[in-house]
Amino acid sequence: MPLSVQGLSKAFNGRTVLQGVDFSVSPGELVAFLGANGSGKSTTLRCVMGITAPDAGTISIAGTALDRLQGRELQQARQRMAMIFQKIHLVPRRTALDNVCAGALARIPTVRSLTPLLFPAEVQQEALDCLDRVGLADRAFDRVGRLSGGQQQRVAVARALCQRADVVLADEPVSALDPHAAEQVMALLRELAHSERIAVAAVLHQPDLALRYADRSIGLLHGSMSFDLPSTEVTAEHLNALYAPDRNLAA
Amino acid sequence: MTPHTLTPVAARRDPTSKSRVALVRPKKPLRWITTAAVAAVVVGLHAVAIQGTGFKPELLVDGWKGMAAFTADAFPPDLSWERTLKPGLEATLVTLWIGLLGTTFSVPFALLLAALAARNTSPHPSVYQAARAVLSFFRAVPDIVFALIFVTAVGLGPFAGVLALICHNTGVMGKLWAESMEEIDAGPQEALRTAGANRIQQVANATLPMVIPQFVGLLLYRFDVNVRSSLVLGLVGAGGIGLLINQSIKSFQFDSMLTHILIVLVLIVVVDQFSAWIRRRLAA
Repeated sequence: MPLSVQGLSKAFNGRTVLQGVDFSVSPGELVAFLGANGSGKSTTLRCVMGITAPDAGTISIAGTALDRLQGRELQQARQRMAMIFQKIHLVPRRTALDNVCAGALARIPTVRSLTPLLFPAEVQQEALDCLDRVGLADRAFDRVGRLSGGQQQRVAVARALCQRADVVLADEPVSALDPHAAEQVMALLRELAHSERIAVAAVLHQPDLALRYADRSIGLLHGSMSFDLPSTEVTAEHLNALYAPDRNLAA
Repeated sequence: MTPHTLTPVAARRDPTSKSRVALVRPKKPLRWITTAAVAAVVVGLHAVAIQGTGFKPELLVDGWKGMAAFTADAFPPDLSWERTLKPGLEATLVTLWIGLLGTTFSVPFALLLAALAARNTSPHPSVYQAARAVLSFFRAVPDIVFALIFVTAVGLGPFAGVLALICHNTGVMGKLWAESMEEIDAGPQEALRTAGANRIQQVANATLPMVIPQFVGLLLYRFDVNVRSSLVLGLVGAGGIGLLINQSIKSFQFDSMLTHILIVLVLIVVVDQFSAWIRRRLAA
């Protein structure tokens, strides 16, 4: 199993944010995390990413539990995960190709990574192939700042591919995009999950996108798992249960 | 009013309708006391400063004749090619070269120290503190003091001026660059860190390419400032047009002095326009 999480718990200043979250993501599967603001879905992702340290629980990547690793081994295990961010986080002044090459930095010697001019030819070719996979090979030598938001997020996906990741974690990957670009990026993530056998976990704010594109949806409510079902089996009642508490508070 | 004009919102409102909320600004009774206290302190400081600097406008009024005579001596400017213009232009070039080398040769030092002195790129808090201290030192010592020190080592001349500018500019530009690095979006660097890039790779492939426009803008600004500083350095023996201005004053050739000042004026305007043009192109 590329990514499996067991008994994940986290509290901030005594306030429980996550409580016993268990899930796993298989190769070739796109899993969506749904939940209201403060339900713990972002904290779950941040714990897996290693940005936030969990209080309890085990995170395993490709069968290796991360909590037993340290230093270089931990670093290498983490490199099998790539991240896609809501704010995209590419370098706007560099070309799409150079940004995608940066996904391979862990494989490039430091002296050859000081400027894109020194990037090894095989890395550049691989990066171009990755751009081709997301349908942007013709924009390889355009500055990223000149691409649209949807195209930029696809370049970020290509960067994750160039990292040769087994697991892709996406934190609200389409929240900053217009509806059409959001559909394109979700379709791309699903297609890559299926064709490249990557395990993709995405935090989403749009239940309709999740149900249409994700193979499986996980609902979080007050830091606990509310449901973990194939997307086709998620009903309106399931979703109401997730988002209703917010409405009750507002009323 | 024709039917086609838009009616202002206020006119549409029925003036007799009562508002549901009353406009009452919260009272802050201590505010005017604070304002008065601040004003009193500022006025007091100025009174002390006027004492301390011997600021007496009446002296200026009484002594206007001396100034008029001095200015009259300077007119018309001496435009003879051999005696004033040619040496003036040659010395101006030297001044420009001092400013240029003083700026560019400080780039590697400023870059290294800036990377160590920016919180988001520094490898360790102790390195950060040390780099900040080094930058503060080079910034705190005026370039003219550096020039006097280097004159004792390499003798009078433009070389001492270049060395002095390198030192002082390293301090100022390193600080400015470090601050612009701290201000940029940390996201791309974070993204490369999670992809397994080491710190040098993160800085070279995310932080630096993000700040290049700011860096070049600050570099041009410093070039502008350094050309003007190198004028002053000429006065303490670092060569260039500053030296000629000093000499013409000491030998009472005020007409030559005026010519040199006019040349300097042209130089400053040209450098200023040049750097403004580059910065505009960068912003586009």
